[in-house]
Formats: sequence, C-alpha cells, structure tokens
Amino acid sequence: MSAPAVVAEDLVKTYKGGVRALGGVSLAVEAGTVLGLLGPNGAGKTTAVRVLTTLLRPDSGRAEVAGVDVVAHPDAVRRLIGLAGQNAAVDENLTGRENLQLVGKLNHLTRPDAVDRAGVLLDRFGLTEAAGRRAKTYSGGMRRRLDLAAALVARAPVLFLDEPTTGLDPRSRVDLWAIIEELVEAGTTVLLTTQYLEEADRLADQICVIDHGKVIAEGTSAQLKSRMGATIIEIRLGGEQLAIRAETALEQIGEVPPVRDGETVRVTTQDGPAVLSQVVGSLNDVNVPIAGLVVREPSLDDVFLALTGHVAEDESTERRSA
Amino acid sequence: MSSPVTEKSEQLRPKTAEELLGSAAGAASHNGHRIAYTISDALAMAGRNLLRLLRSPDQVVFSLLSPIMFTLLFRYVFGGAIGGLQGVDYVTYLVPGIAVQTAIFSAGTTGFGLCDDLQKGFIDRLRSLPMARSAVLAGRAMADSLNNLVQVVILILVGVAVGFRPQSFAGLVLGVVLLLGFALSISFIFAIVGMSVSSVEAVNAATFPVVFPLTFASSAFVPTSTMPGWLKAFADHQPVSVVVNAVRSLVLGDITPQMREGLLGGQGTVSLVLQSLAWTAGFTLVFGWIAVRKYRRLAS
Repeated sequence: MSAPAVVAEDLVKTYKGGVRALGGVSLAVEAGTVLGLLGPNGAGKTTAVRVLTTLLRPDSGRAEVAGVDVVAHPDAVRRLIGLAGQNAAVDENLTGRENLQLVGKLNHLTRPDAVDRAGVLLDRFGLTEAAGRRAKTYSGGMRRRLDLAAALVARAPVLFLDEPTTGLDPRSRVDLWAIIEELVEAGTTVLLTTQYLEEADRLADQICVIDHGKVIAEGTSAQLKSRMGATIIEIRLGGEQLAIRAETALEQIGEVPPVRDGETVRVTTQDGPAVLSQVVGSLNDVNVPIAGLVVREPSLDDVFLALTGHVAEDESTERRSA
Repeated sequence: MSSPVTEKSEQLRPKTAEELLGSAAGAASHNGHRIAYTISDALAMAGRNLLRLLRSPDQVVFSLLSPIMFTLLFRYVFGGAIGGLQGVDYVTYLVPGIAVQTAIFSAGTTGFGLCDDLQKGFIDRLRSLPMARSAVLAGRAMADSLNNLVQVVILILVGVAVGFRPQSFAGLVLGVVLLLGFALSISFIFAIVGMSVSSVEAVNAATFPVVFPLTFASSAFVPTSTMPGWLKAFADHQPVSVVVNAVRSLVLGDITPQMREGLLGGQGTVSLVLQSLAWTAGFTLVFGWIAVRKYRRLAS
C-alpha cells in the first residue's frame, strides 16, 4: 500500500500547433484512493489522462502506473488500467452486450469468461434489459454506464475516468457517483477529471486543481477550502443601496475587505463566530436591516475563483483538439 | 455459498498488478501467446467490423448500386458503339474492368471506417486495451476484403445475367483473387487518407478525384487503342490497366495472338499476372508501411 498507484513527474506536452497542454504536471494517487483532477475546459486534464493511459507520449517527464513506466512499457500498463469518459467511446453500432464481449476478447479473456463478465457488468449497471439493443439507442446516462462497464471488464486496479459525468442529467450523475464510490470501496484506485467542483468534493480524497497545464493547488477538499478562510458570511440586504452602505460599514471587519455582489455582501474570515457578531452589531449601528444571512464553508467554486482569478466554468475552449 | 453482499462486492473487486502482469514466468507465457493473440485480436476486430457492415446493409447495397448501373449502362448504352474488341463480346470485355473498379471503390471502406472510429473515440478505447497493435489495421483489411469479395461476386453474377461469359472458370477465380489483393494494397492508401482528414465526408471527397481518372484512363471500359498517344502511354502502363488486363487475360483463357495484341498489348497471362503482383506488393510495402507508421504516430 506504500507506493502510489499513479505517479506523474513534471509531464510536459506541447501539441504540434504550439499549444502547451501540459507545462510540467506532477501528481500522485495513493493506491485505493480517488484523485480529482479539477479544472476548466482546456486546462490540460484530458491531455494528462491521455499520457497516463499510454494514448499520448509526453515530450518530457515521467509517469508510472502501479510502478510500471507508461512510456517504456505501455503494453503492461494497458493490462493494469481501465479508461472511461469523453475519450473512450463505445461502438454505437454494436449492442451493449457485444461491446462488453468485444472488450473482453481484446483483453484476452476466454470466450466463456468474456460472456460471463459482460453479463455480470450489464446486470450490475442496470443494462440487462437494454443489452440486446444497439448502443446508439441508449440515453446519455446508459451510454456512460456502458462505457464505465467496458473499463471494468478486465478488473483493472487503476481506473481513469475522464469527465465521467459531463453532459449528464443530475439523476444520472448521482447514479454514476454511487457506482464510482462502490468501485473505490472494492479497492480500485481512481483518477478522475472533472469541471464540476461538486463532483470533486464528493468523490475525491485528494484534489489537484489544474489550469493552463499547471497544477496550481493540491490537497484535500478541506485543505483547499481552508486556504480561503474557514468561514464565509453572506449577508443579503433589501436592495443595492443598502448593500453599498453595508459594504462600507463592514470594511474594517474580517481579515480581507468584504465583497459585494448585487444585493449581497460576502465577508470571509478565519474566525466565524466573533466576526459574525461584529457584522450584526455594525449593521445595527448604521441602521441597515439584514434581509437574509448565510454562514457557510467556502465551496470549491470560491476556491477556484481565489486560485485562478476566474470562475471555473468561464473558459469554454476546444476540448480535445489544440 | 457466499452471501449476496460479498458476492456483489466481489464482482467489482479489481485484480492486483501481480495477478494481471503475473510472475516472470507468467510474462514469458504471455509472450508465447503473442502470435495467437495477434491473430485472435485481428479476428475479433474483423468480426466487429463485419457486424457493423451487416448492421448497415443500406451502405452495402448503395455501394453496389453504382457498379451495377455502370455495367448496365455500358453494356446497353455505350457497348454497341465500342469497337476494336477483336470479336470479344463487349460485356465479357467489360466485367473484369468494372470488377476492378468496384474493388478499388470498395477499398475506400477502409478509409471511412478508420476515420469514423477515430472521430468517435473508439480507436482511443482500443489503444487503451492490451490488444495487439496490428489488430486494428489487420481486422479492417480482413473485413473489408470479405466485403469486397461479396461485392465483386454479386457484380459478376449481374454480369453473367446480361451476357458475361468467362472462358475459363479457374481463370475467373484466380482473377478475383488477384484483384482483391490489389484492392487490399489500395486500401492502405485510403487508410492513410482516413487517418489524415477530419471527417468521413472528406474521405469520400478525396476518393473520387483519385479513383475516377485511374479507372477511366485505363483499359477498364474501352481498349486504349483509340486514345491520344500521351494518354494511351499512361493508360497502358498504369497499375489499374495492368490488373484489369491480367484479370481479362485470365478470364478469356486461350485467345489468338492477334486478339492478344489488340486487347492486351500483346502481353501474355503470366507476364500480366506477375506485373499485377508486383504492383500489389509495391503498394502494400510502401503504403502499408506509411499506414502502420501513421497509426503508431497517433500516439505522439
């Protein structure tokens, strides 16, 4: 359990057009845990996964999966990994069952084993009824489940999930999360990329925030949040004029100046209880009535904004190309 | 019996790296299986490609429609006006030519298929599996050749229905083998195109400007004797004519030296077959090598 299941050291990849997708990425995933690679579109997440899954050769740097070098021994690495997500498609003209059996055969399972494994996974992922239908008739959620099942055919100890829930409806997303949690419970190591802060928060033991091909922060969800200050106090006022008055009144409170967003003023602090009573007192003193009050931990959205200077969803660039 | 709970968690339990990679001895036996895996992987891919073809029979039907129309058009519309046939019935002259053209067009399937798989990300899934790397191209070649065989056979049957009379059945069979081999070597060109362009439509657009001049500026449809000198020089020596003439020579069997002079440039069957094989081998080596290299380079 000591050696990490996935290691990347200083990975650099520049595409032909001169776009530097990875500018020296290092990361490690402990065996049996989940690492969330979090970043907006075009941050380099997919490129990192492609390098780690032997689909792409890095310009420099080193990467290992279960102690096996991905550049020197790609064939061995392929026997240890499962890949699912936006890059690894299923064949839409084959049925769900045919897709899984094909992957089984190509993983060199015996024919009965491939048939058996396909049946177990279809059943497990609620696809038995649709097993004889072509994958092109599947809903988005069914397709992702089939895709994930395909990555599990060989019982690989390390799973790479590239944006496993992008484009899914909330219900399907929650279903898929539950499956991923089961996999981890069963002992699988997972590296998943996501643009959804909520997803990383829920699934990942460790989070790497990546932007423009560089890791800009890493730690547990709690550690990242604490970099923001422990508590956020959001005060809603009965109008913008009142909010501006409140912002002025609260200028001296907390370690950093308050931030106003329309009718809401946000105070970030390490000492929630003390600052909260000061906030209430100060607004009372200047006769600004409070319309609503929320005291909360910072979300990863707040973290991302603080780390990158832009909101996570902001950067919608080409995903695969470039 | 294990309880349902442990059985359920067992279903998702991953194997360890040791279980999957095995001991040194296990790795050695895996190497011993390498040749068997190379074949079984290619067969698995071929099976998958054939299944896809069967799932879209419209594609197969439509790709047969134009050669059949060509056969009927040339047989009934142009055929009567085409001379210099040394007494050979035009439809018997024509069918070897159209068969070669059909096989070359059909070789384009390789390009479409590869391009489609690349665009949809299916190749990425395959490349993340521990399968033989050659299987993607080899499986394509097998499935597409079989598809091609079916197309050519149907075309020949249509030809027979409108008067095609091969003089030698053995010659016809050899001819079909020869032209399928040639089509396979051409399919590497389409494979390269399929891996280079960004859409299936682009593969289609790239096919016509290459295939049409090569098949029409040839002996496929008419004898080259009435073509202008510069064109005749090209038409007589380019590979499509060589293969068409070889197939034609095999199909016509024993013919007089005068007919051979008029129809086949005076060349004997053996010489034509050897030239065809040389072109096929040359194309396979050059374009096959480029295609394999290109496939490997997808990783960079």
